[in-house]
Amino acid sequence: MALRAVVHAEWIKLRSVRSTYLTMACAAVLGLGLGALDTASVAHHWAGMTAQGRAGFDPVGDSFTGLVFAQLAFGVLGVLAASTEYGTGMIRTTLGAVPRRGALFAAKAVVVGALSLLLGEVFAFGAFLLGQFMLAGSHLNVSLTDPQVLRAVSSAGLYLSVVALVGCGVGALIRHTAGGVAAVFAVIFMSWPVARAMETWSYLPDRLVLSNAADVIGQVHAASVKPRLPTLGWAYLDLLLYCVLALALGAWRTTRDP
Amino acid sequence: MTAGGRPVRVLLVIETRALTKRYGTRVAVDRLSVLVRPGRVTGFLGPNGAGKSTTMRMLLGLDTPSSGSALVNGRDYRALQFPLREVGALLDARAVHPGMAARRHLEWLAASNRLPRRRVAEVLSQCGLEDVAGIRLRHFSLGMRQRLGVAVALLGDPPILIFDEPGNGLDPEGVAWVRRLLPALASEGRTVLVSSHLMTEMAMTADHLLVIGQGQLLAEATTAEFIAASGEPNLEAAYLKMTQDAGQYRASDMEQ
Repeated sequence: MALRAVVHAEWIKLRSVRSTYLTMACAAVLGLGLGALDTASVAHHWAGMTAQGRAGFDPVGDSFTGLVFAQLAFGVLGVLAASTEYGTGMIRTTLGAVPRRGALFAAKAVVVGALSLLLGEVFAFGAFLLGQFMLAGSHLNVSLTDPQVLRAVSSAGLYLSVVALVGCGVGALIRHTAGGVAAVFAVIFMSWPVARAMETWSYLPDRLVLSNAADVIGQVHAASVKPRLPTLGWAYLDLLLYCVLALALGAWRTTRDP
Repeated sequence: MTAGGRPVRVLLVIETRALTKRYGTRVAVDRLSVLVRPGRVTGFLGPNGAGKSTTMRMLLGLDTPSSGSALVNGRDYRALQFPLREVGALLDARAVHPGMAARRHLEWLAASNRLPRRRVAEVLSQCGLEDVAGIRLRHFSLGMRQRLGVAVALLGDPPILIFDEPGNGLDPEGVAWVRRLLPALASEGRTVLVSSHLMTEMAMTADHLLVIGQGQLLAEATTAEFIAASGEPNLEAAYLKMTQDAGQYRASDMEQ
């Protein structure tokens, strides 16, 4: 029950700083804007597209093009929630008020997780609806009631929240904003070419790459067409794995003296 | 016996028992045992690096002791559910988020310890910050941050107060304000521990002194006794004499 008081305090902190609004405004502009551009482009060129090009088209996944960039804003939001405490020295005031460090990190994760899940779903559904609106002229659009669509859209929102939580864990682990942001970018983007380079030996690294998991859960086409990608079950497991690992590391480091 | 469902506190003290903190091979605080009592201002003196701030950090659960214990109200700070109600502290006035307004800073602190929201307005007024409550802290001078730090310490109306260099960066009016505030808090029955390098201020505010050097207790006495025992005319001279001797004492002590 004391945890609720700490969650309340962390919520006041998060909504009192400009970076929260800036990162989420960036996520909105990039997430919705780029998805709208991409789907508008597909709708425009559809008549002239090759059969192969058409086969690669996913009406849901293509509306999420912008979320690839929005996820960075979510990662930064998570990093900042933890790292600015150390960068500014506020952690000493925070620990004076909340000396139980495990509870402090748990409250941070709850607040970051809840806000990012809420906004992640808003952006995912927004991007989906905007994308379908763009595709409707060419009758390429799908509906939320079509098979797999609701799952894919809500999972895209869930993924954004996972990235924010990974950021929160990494920010608490590294205690430095620039370092934390760089690490989150590396986890999201640099892991992909590394995994590709190892394909000669195994598809396992591919299946553990967070952005591959994001692609799989955020589309309606069966992932089985590309054997290097994780299956749907694998992809959800990946999200859980990243979340648990990052939060465990962040919680451990938070219990160390500042 | 209880009041308002909570047991009446009889131990309003700060206590360290053989408190020790080592950083590698360096001993910052060395078997320090002190008891700080309520109802008076206790000055905590010592040269830079003597271990004052480290001791205060351990009292507030920010640093973990290498051995021994640091207790407030007879308990480990980290065991307190709502510590701001029991101990108020000003350690570092810069320990704030520069993008947050003063009122918000106090609001999250109040929320974290379930303090009534009216306390925020009360301490803002008490510390003369009402007019700047909506201004982001990056625009605060060190003196204003110092006042905010005092406001944070007073937020939970705690019976124990710990101030590390409260006069830092304050203008003459602010220094005079702290000089009146500390004895007033002590006269309300609170336990007040203050560290400072300003000997003239200490002479005016502290009733009792703890002097440490190289992590060890050098002297504990009332301010008047401390000056009298030194044979010096004032606190500054008495303090300088004591801390100068401390180095020699330590050198002979090392041979053991």
